[in-house]
Amino acid sequence: MEITPGSAEPRFPGFDVLDQAHTWDSVTAGLVLGRLSPVQPLRFFSPEEEPTARALVDRLLAQDDDPKIPVLEVIDLRLLERQGDGYRYENMPEDWEAWRRSVSGLDADARVATGRPFWDIETTEQMRIVEAVHELDDDWHGMPAVRVFSLWLRYACTAFYSHPWAFSEIGFGGPAYPRGYKNLGLNRRENWEVAERDAKDPIPWVKRVEQARQRHADALPGAVSERGIDSSPAQDGQGSAAGLEASDGDART
Amino acid sequence: MNRVRRRNESAWLLPNDGTRENHRLRQEMRRFDNQEEVDLVVIGCGAGGGILTQRLARRGWKVVTFDAGPFWNPDRDWVSDEAGSHHLYWTDPRVISGGDPVALGSNNSGRGVGGSMVHFAGYVPRFHPSDFHTFSHDGVGADWPINYIDLKRHYEDMEEELPAAGQYWPWGDPHSYPQSPHPISGNGMVFVRGCENLGIDVRIGPVAIVNGRFGNRSHCIYRGFCVQGCKVNAKASPLITHVPDALAHGAEIRADSMVTRIDIGVDGRALGVTYIHEGVEHRQRARSVAVAGYSIETPRLLLNSACERFPEGLCNEFDQVGRYVMVQGAPQTAGRYQDEVRAYKAPPPEASSEVFYETDPSKSYKRGFSLQCVSPLPIVFAEHVAAQGHWGVTLREYMRDYVHWATFGALCEFLPLPENRVTLAEETDRNGLRVANFSYTMGDNDHALVKAATKVMTDIHQAAGAEEVITIDRYAHLVGGCRMAIDERSGVVDENLRSFAIPNLFVTDGSVLPTQGSANPALTIMALASRAADYLDTANRAYV
Repeated sequence: MEITPGSAEPRFPGFDVLDQAHTWDSVTAGLVLGRLSPVQPLRFFSPEEEPTARALVDRLLAQDDDPKIPVLEVIDLRLLERQGDGYRYENMPEDWEAWRRSVSGLDADARVATGRPFWDIETTEQMRIVEAVHELDDDWHGMPAVRVFSLWLRYACTAFYSHPWAFSEIGFGGPAYPRGYKNLGLNRRENWEVAERDAKDPIPWVKRVEQARQRHADALPGAVSERGIDSSPAQDGQGSAAGLEASDGDART
Repeated sequence: MNRVRRRNESAWLLPNDGTRENHRLRQEMRRFDNQEEVDLVVIGCGAGGGILTQRLARRGWKVVTFDAGPFWNPDRDWVSDEAGSHHLYWTDPRVISGGDPVALGSNNSGRGVGGSMVHFAGYVPRFHPSDFHTFSHDGVGADWPINYIDLKRHYEDMEEELPAAGQYWPWGDPHSYPQSPHPISGNGMVFVRGCENLGIDVRIGPVAIVNGRFGNRSHCIYRGFCVQGCKVNAKASPLITHVPDALAHGAEIRADSMVTRIDIGVDGRALGVTYIHEGVEHRQRARSVAVAGYSIETPRLLLNSACERFPEGLCNEFDQVGRYVMVQGAPQTAGRYQDEVRAYKAPPPEASSEVFYETDPSKSYKRGFSLQCVSPLPIVFAEHVAAQGHWGVTLREYMRDYVHWATFGALCEFLPLPENRVTLAEETDRNGLRVANFSYTMGDNDHALVKAATKVMTDIHQAAGAEEVITIDRYAHLVGGCRMAIDERSGVVDENLRSFAIPNLFVTDGSVLPTQGSANPALTIMALASRAADYLDTANRAYV
């Protein structure tokens, strides 16, 4: 039985990438299956910082329900090991310093708004504060907000989308050595790949993404951005790499 | 094939039993004494250094090649996983600055034997003849001190040795490839369909991925993890295309050894190098030195090697070291299709078009761009989604739709500017060496190219039937920083890659490129190194 994060109905019912683990080479299997190991206590973030850091990454990835992919634990280890991405913006501190200042900054913002620390307020309030950083075109607690938000998402997405439960959630085949793929081409699956739920009578993509945007907007009372309530997906969406620069994956050509 | 084998036996020196490393070749590798004056020290074993090493070892030169990273074993060290491939990149501290700071690390660096080709996607286009004189013909960029014809034979040799697979190539100097094109996946089909619907000429290839058997290299298994290091030995990198032959001809590859200084004698010639291995400083004497650390580390090493004789850094009397560093504008446009694309199947490099490569007199901008398909794996696709401003529930919903998206990328020829440069920052690394600060700012022509390329990619998606199109602005590749030129006032090395300042010091990597075209640079870097090897061996052996 596949596990996907959260309680949502799976998009690829019955698809469990772990069913393929016997086809993976042993080095890759060791690494990827290790992500299912019991998590260790945090060592970079202090007990005082932990609940706010946890709330932040849960909001970034909408991990509101169990089972949750352990994201903060992966980030914590990277920061402890000073495992950066190979560059630092001249006007940003090192990644580990930026994460610490982010946690204290979120707590400070929450206290100003509500008198309580970030972790101790309603999730909708948390989202409002995160969205404020996202929208800010200026420094935030001494760091350019656009770089801070990008740093958060870069670390969070790298941890989340490396977990086998996330592979199963999105229908991704995962590790593929030495097996490889035989059936290339549009609408062609391997015999172990699974069709989407409702593949024959799909809820149109436009409607599905609109529902997601609406859920996101509903959770942001009073702080609805233009992006959040678009009535249809952009036809000419234009993003910037500043949104999330070079993570562990690579879009190189 | 026998002709290739006579020139470079690497593919036949690899094992044919399903494992990927010739352990015996490495165990029996020749080892030189630090005190022995070898013929050549090469710094960096990537596209430039790896080829130079093989070429000269084969001609009897005593070569020691250093790499700061490991001597990879694909079976043991690489994984079929995105996040698990972090160790393939250069992640030592670096500072980025300027109006458009360029992210480094995974995007444009390598570490270990094989260099960044270990995790490059695999596109190996040639430069066009027009690339070599953009200043005289287009009024922008710079003229090279050599022409296309000077590199042509080396392009052909490299295409055979990689080997390159693709359809007959109608652009630039038209040519064929030694191996036939690979089958294409859903992502490539969408790209070809969109191009054909718009009348844009498109071809499959060119990729440095074995199609069929080549020596003991295996056929591609269409696993899709090219940019995580090819565990199949199907995709080319110097680790498998040139290093085995170099070892068999007596070269030493000294891995895990960071060169910290090029030592200069009282006569102003290079004496050898200082390096750190397992925390201990050593020196290696050499008759000549070739730097091949790429556009950030090569200038950094020359600057950090400042000495009494060269107080501003080596080869820097005219303030040329570290200047004219270039990146290509590399916007990527993804489209959502009703069909299942499953872009993670098959190599990300599949098809490309160079229709827009040259200057079009009807446009307001000079030079152009190429179009290629790319297939981001989930973590990178999350970057695409996040770049639209999505997070939380919306990000997750886009990601759940991952199998429906096809992605194209452009490479825009950004122009070389002197103020886009590498300098030394105040901060130091764990060896106490000042780290590089890379400052980058785009020019007006650059912005116009990105806009034009994005428009074309969006049109192709729409012509192919996309329901939604999203674009992420980003950069790819690094070249320049120690460019070749006609004299020391306009560059660092001459047409044979010999530095103007120090007669036995060479630069043999991507940093010598005066312009970058809109082609991926790997093949050109290899061809330049191959040409430099010919020069070193025939004309200059006695001299250096």
